[in-house]
Amino acid sequence: MIRIESEAWKVMVEHARSTFPNECCGAMLGTIEGDVKIVRRAVPMENAYAGAQNARYELRPEDLLKADREAREHGMDLIGIFHSHPDCDAYFSETDLKNSCPWYSFLVLSIKNGEFDHANCYLPNPDQTAAEREELVY
Amino acid sequence: MAKILIPTPLRQYTNKQDSVELSGATVGEVLDSLTSQYQDLRKHLYNDEGKLRSFVNIYVNDEDIRYLSKEATPLKDGDTISIVPSIAGGR
Repeated sequence: MIRIESEAWKVMVEHARSTFPNECCGAMLGTIEGDVKIVRRAVPMENAYAGAQNARYELRPEDLLKADREAREHGMDLIGIFHSHPDCDAYFSETDLKNSCPWYSFLVLSIKNGEFDHANCYLPNPDQTAAEREELVY
Repeated sequence: MAKILIPTPLRQYTNKQDSVELSGATVGEVLDSLTSQYQDLRKHLYNDEGKLRSFVNIYVNDEDIRYLSKEATPLKDGDTISIVPSIAGGR
């Protein structure tokens, strides 16, 4: 299960709204207590995809490296990645799956007409052939 | 000695250590040593052909080894190695 604290949630929704109609992206930092991942801080990142960003996103590895360092400095861990699907449901697409990494939770925020609609979280398998839903609480 | 920072989800394969210090002349040597010591880690970093998985980026301090000498990148005492994934997607 992944639980997102309210301040981190607000940061992600605001990032997704402000970048609409493009996809946003970023990292989720927090702690893991037993089977529960707790997201305490969201780090918005620039979408580095070189083409049309209304249907694609790309994170710069150096931004992730920076986020990982920030997490370690604050006694937290890098536990997930978030991105938005503008005017589209929060599913885990084929593109999401093929370009994911099985180590992290992937939160997808559906933004419709510029406003938050719903969200789902996924865990890709090691071969990047399927992703299962992770229970999400926010 | 170089310090290898272990990403959170991979710490289950390193006895929960968030970093491991190992000696080696190159990045390849240190990663070999790491995955020999913690064999379950190997399949998460390397594919069946023994190459680093496509989504795995290795940094020495702030530099991506792809822009240095890849796995032959030499190491000096005190270097920090980070394992950073490539992540992208889209609807």
